[in-house]
Amino acid sequence: MLRSTLNAIGMSFELKEIVESAGTNLPNLFDFSSFGVLWKEGLLLYLYQEESCPPSFTQEVVKNMATVFSMLGEETISVDRVALQVEKRKLRPKQMMIEPKATLKSHLTLPLTIEGEIIGCISLNSDQPNAFDAQDLQFLSVIGYQMAASLKHFQRFSSIKNIAIYDTLTNLYNRRYFDERLEVEAQKSFFSDTSLSLVMVDIDHFKRVNDTFGHTEGDKVLCEIASLLKASVRKKDTVARYGGEEFILILPEAGLEESSMISERIRRLVESTPFEVGQARINLTVSLGISNFPSHHARTKEELVKMADSALYDAKRGGRNRVSIFNEPKGG
Amino acid sequence: MRMPSGIKEDKGGKWSSDLVLDLYSNLLMEIWEVVSALIGEAILALLFNLSVRKLGEKYAFLNSLKVSEEGISLEGMREDCRNIAPIEIHRGFQSLISHLSHLFSALAEGVINKELFPKVFPKVREAERIISQK
Repeated sequence: MLRSTLNAIGMSFELKEIVESAGTNLPNLFDFSSFGVLWKEGLLLYLYQEESCPPSFTQEVVKNMATVFSMLGEETISVDRVALQVEKRKLRPKQMMIEPKATLKSHLTLPLTIEGEIIGCISLNSDQPNAFDAQDLQFLSVIGYQMAASLKHFQRFSSIKNIAIYDTLTNLYNRRYFDERLEVEAQKSFFSDTSLSLVMVDIDHFKRVNDTFGHTEGDKVLCEIASLLKASVRKKDTVARYGGEEFILILPEAGLEESSMISERIRRLVESTPFEVGQARINLTVSLGISNFPSHHARTKEELVKMADSALYDAKRGGRNRVSIFNEPKGG
Repeated sequence: MRMPSGIKEDKGGKWSSDLVLDLYSNLLMEIWEVVSALIGEAILALLFNLSVRKLGEKYAFLNSLKVSEEGISLEGMREDCRNIAPIEIHRGFQSLISHLSHLFSALAEGVINKELFPKVFPKVREAERIISQK
């Protein structure tokens, strides 16, 4: 039982999956009311508990884990800062359900450590007194070691993943991720004949900002524009940094009308936002170019990108601070 | 050579501070053996180091205690402790064991201390006995 529990945890990769693997297997090893994993990053606390546990019991468990974690670390963790996620399961037969006024009567709580670093803690909790013994503690410590190793892998994987797909300045997706994402969306769109729009966005006269105020201030502007773009799109849309001051949006299932609406919203938002640059407050504008499948007869994703780029060029030539839709040559 | 006050050399030529260190070295190793079997060496080393950090300001000699996943070593302390009264060494280690016991209790309630007390308590009393001899 212990070995299969360890295997299940070792094969899990996502944080929630790690906790669920442990939680699913633990009832075979222990009689407990609640099992918790507190992870240092973001103070995430996952509780896997018997569904009849009253909220007061849950609160006691959270408080106890926060107290132990504070004791082991450098700072006091307030319960308010803990981000709690509870998974309720039927762990007990009906006749052994937890009383509504049950309190935390016994627990085993151990730090999760990797190479001397505390990355969280793990806890078994019960509404019964003296529920755990030395053997339970031994098993829990072995499970804790495996879980710490899995959590560390998850942490490393997350960091690598973040570096691989995000632009470090703006926190938007980077060009590399955009290419991969477009590949997926374009295939879906081309095969199912559903709409797909691309919007290329360029900040007007951005070179002047850098030349006048310096690149540090210029970077701040890029970050602000990035935030405005993220706030303007739908949940399913992708916003990426395409180049220096160029951004690109992938709008799945958006036709020309919808993508024009989103683009115009972005244009107006940027135009009406004052940007604090150095000691000054300046106004900026953006130009946007839209391409769409199937409205524009792109046969590949590269063609779709070229069309958006061409539309952007038209927007610039037309006076900037405008949205331009790709003008398909007749017969194309 | 003039001896520092309060430090006695026994007939075998060993400083009293060494005797106290020997006693606590055995005691700490006993604790290490019992508790590491329950929670593992890594967690136990962490708890020891936490305790030393907490108490090291008051009992500076404790900072020479070497704790790692491989175990505990008091060897680095011997020279430092030559100029410390045995009673002070005794108090320092008593505080260390007391703090560890408190940590064990916070983590696992009575589960660890229940295994420890029968083995540790007699040795702590032995240490008190040695110290009280003049």
